[in-house]
Amino acid sequence: MSESAIITTKNVNLWYNEKRALESVSMKVPKNKVTALIGPSGCGKSTLLRCFNRLNDLIDHVKITGEITLDDKNIHAPNTDVVMLRKKVGMVFQKPNPFPKSIYENVAYGPRVHGVKDKAELDKIVEQSLRHAAIWDEVKDRLNDSALGLSGGQQQRLCIARTLAVEPEVILMDEPCSALDPIATAKIENLIERLKQDYTVIIVTHNMQQAARVSDYTGFMYLGKLIECGKTVQIFEHPKEELTENYITGRFG
Amino acid sequence: MEKFMKKMNGVPSASEVTAHLSFLKEQAIKTVFFFTAFFAVIVVVFILLFLLRDGYVIFEKVGVLTFLSGTAWAPTAVVPLYGIFPLIVGTLLVTIGSMVFAVPLSLGCAIYISELASPRVKQVLKPAVELLAGIPSVVYGFFGLIVLTNFIRVTFDLPTGETWLAASVLLGIMALPTIISVSEDAISSVPREYKEGSLAIGATRWQTISRVLVPAALSGIAAAIILGIGRAIGETMAVLMVAGNAAIIPDPLWNIFSPLRTLTATLGIEMGEVSVGSDHYSALFGVAVVLLIITLIINLSAVAILRRMKEGGPSRQAYKPFLSTSVRDSLKRITEMIVVIALIIFLLAAAPWYLAVAILLAGGAWYFGRNRLSQKHIQTIAFSFVVAAAFIVLAILLIILQDIIINGLPALSWEFLTQPPKDLGRAGGIFPAIIGTLYLVMGAIAIALPLGVGAAIYLVEYTREGRITRLIRTGVDLLNGTPSIVFGLFGFAFIVLYLKIGVSMLAGQITLALMVLPTVIRTTEESLKNIPQSLREGSLALGATKWQTISRVVLPPAVPGIVTGAILSIGRAAGETAPIMFTAVVFSSRFLPDSVFQPVMALPYHLFILATNVPGGSTNKYGTALVLLLLVIGFYAVAIIVRNHFQNTSRG
Repeated sequence: MSESAIITTKNVNLWYNEKRALESVSMKVPKNKVTALIGPSGCGKSTLLRCFNRLNDLIDHVKITGEITLDDKNIHAPNTDVVMLRKKVGMVFQKPNPFPKSIYENVAYGPRVHGVKDKAELDKIVEQSLRHAAIWDEVKDRLNDSALGLSGGQQQRLCIARTLAVEPEVILMDEPCSALDPIATAKIENLIERLKQDYTVIIVTHNMQQAARVSDYTGFMYLGKLIECGKTVQIFEHPKEELTENYITGRFG
Repeated sequence: MEKFMKKMNGVPSASEVTAHLSFLKEQAIKTVFFFTAFFAVIVVVFILLFLLRDGYVIFEKVGVLTFLSGTAWAPTAVVPLYGIFPLIVGTLLVTIGSMVFAVPLSLGCAIYISELASPRVKQVLKPAVELLAGIPSVVYGFFGLIVLTNFIRVTFDLPTGETWLAASVLLGIMALPTIISVSEDAISSVPREYKEGSLAIGATRWQTISRVLVPAALSGIAAAIILGIGRAIGETMAVLMVAGNAAIIPDPLWNIFSPLRTLTATLGIEMGEVSVGSDHYSALFGVAVVLLIITLIINLSAVAILRRMKEGGPSRQAYKPFLSTSVRDSLKRITEMIVVIALIIFLLAAAPWYLAVAILLAGGAWYFGRNRLSQKHIQTIAFSFVVAAAFIVLAILLIILQDIIINGLPALSWEFLTQPPKDLGRAGGIFPAIIGTLYLVMGAIAIALPLGVGAAIYLVEYTREGRITRLIRTGVDLLNGTPSIVFGLFGFAFIVLYLKIGVSMLAGQITLALMVLPTVIRTTEESLKNIPQSLREGSLALGATKWQTISRVVLPPAVPGIVTGAILSIGRAAGETAPIMFTAVVFSSRFLPDSVFQPVMALPYHLFILATNVPGGSTNKYGTALVLLLLVIGFYAVAIIVRNHFQNTSRG
């Protein structure tokens, strides 16, 4: 990979209790590109994703070894501020999870917790984020309505707007379209395409067509190992590993 | 059905007769269950009827308005006055005071348990809270009378410690477990995704708790507080023992060192000495009616909130803010100002000046300094308050337990447990009281268990949710929210007098049974609902009748849950004083009763009389308190063990 890497992992292992979920994963995530993680269920792609913002910390009995760096800084170093890390590394979840608040409050939540109080500034951030997430036109007249009244696809774009509002460097997406219909999915994919101008996106997906459509780089994982990682075109057209080829061509199991 | 009837017209074959018989049997069983379920509604109606029947006279004589608004309660004066306004004010003040004490502590403790505590700490704290709930109210009252009022008297240099403050603190402690467990439940059941979503944005843990989790759990927390209020308002024995019981309105109103008297305490004190049929007697029933109505409203609103929460979760549609954002902001500012001003007035008026200055300084420092503090520091400050709250709750439990255990242990001896009391209970033992309590609770559960289980079976197995189930459920909720002293009055008016059973063991058993009935119904319902639907379908698909399915497939796995509920009820009944003190007990009896128609001694009542009416004999008082505590906690412990054992085995 020629581009500069924003996230690098070296020999990352992860255990849930006794169960090993990641096995010496080493990869580089290039800046301002879309990187897709693919692989069968339970292969560890979501687990790896949740390592990048240390969301696995929430789960009891998790043990991680190896090194993960963001901008050349080890995110597990004792002096790391998890809160700052998560501000830099935003996340969009599999199931849209807007808070039970108004649309406006959902987007304003991030800036608020990071200390923005000025109403005019908040208004500006909310509008920008919603525009950026391509949902502004649909919600601009009902910003004070509950976010729970939106459709699934709208909720997911709202969650993306919420993530954008804190201006992260990296956005993690954990199967962001798995709960959505094809039209909503297409909207989100278009959005991802535009996001990479300003952000680095890492997306976990079950859907290989989606990986092929939206990503520049692809990593294929299997049973906790990163089997192969490279440019999406190369992975899909000339995979080096037989496992990858079998998975991509559908000859699996 | 028609087909069936047609067949019956011809000569019935043997199998048709059996079919018909089994059909009749099923119908009969269903009818029986329906009556057990409807029983709760009947009881509620009867309670209201009998209270009104005996209270009606006073409403007519004095007039409802005068009765409610009269400022003097002097039923034994030459010209008796029946104005319950001071009692209502007393009840309100004590309740408000208890919530000021209990709400911050409970919320802190609930947040600690659900969000901060490690699994191991949780394993200690949750049973501790359950234990706090298990201490009988008369034991709280005893502790309050001996330790708390004394502490208040010495600390604030007062002539007596029996004050509004003492009652509020004690009731606050008693309301803690209810508020903690219900709000902890509410916070823990906020979807994980909200928490992850907030943390993933880079909010601190405290920001996540205070801005996402607590707001999302708000309706549950509100219900928890309302239930706590209901508990505080309905409490009799504890408040009676520490509130001083002068039927006056504190002057000035915020004088927390004034004695006062609640509605419940009035009933507890005067009911035993009033002559049946007099105006005074009727006035007490009038008080009970007012009390019942207040508690019913409170409990029904809590139940309504909780039910809506369970059904809909956070409302999906209507988050239409009532007012525009700017109006809400200014409203918020105004309320903040009012609170601050009220606080200042209160501090200046009631608290010692150094305390007032300290609180004002701390408040001011917080107000002006918070913008400069980093989120990290705010989190540290907030978490230290939360941890302190949990620590205080634990400390309260330990203080109460150690006081009673250390002072009570010397009294425990073979003689104490096996001999009747001597010298008004200052010497001798408490054997008849122990046996009497056991008789009472066994009788109560023998009555309540079949009724409760039957009602639960009807509610879960025989009906769909509809108007009738709603009526029955409301009846059960109302019964559950009825203060124990009201059961006592009802038992006296209906069972003792109207049914002419007299003050007897049987009357006490029935009264206690009515009181624990809602617990039995609820726990049974829960355990029946946990039986997977597929089991029922499997049995019905094999051609089993409804009753066969219930008795052979549904009930057996539900038994541990039912047993747990029954033991919990026994524990609760064993600690209650108010329901039995006019219906079943005597203070002293050398012999055990020969039949259910004789009165008995009972531990809680014995302790109550020893604590309030018998000077001296401190060791035996503590000994009685300890035995009662051990008995009740023993029942609870067994229930918890059964529950845990069952949970573990059923999970495999």
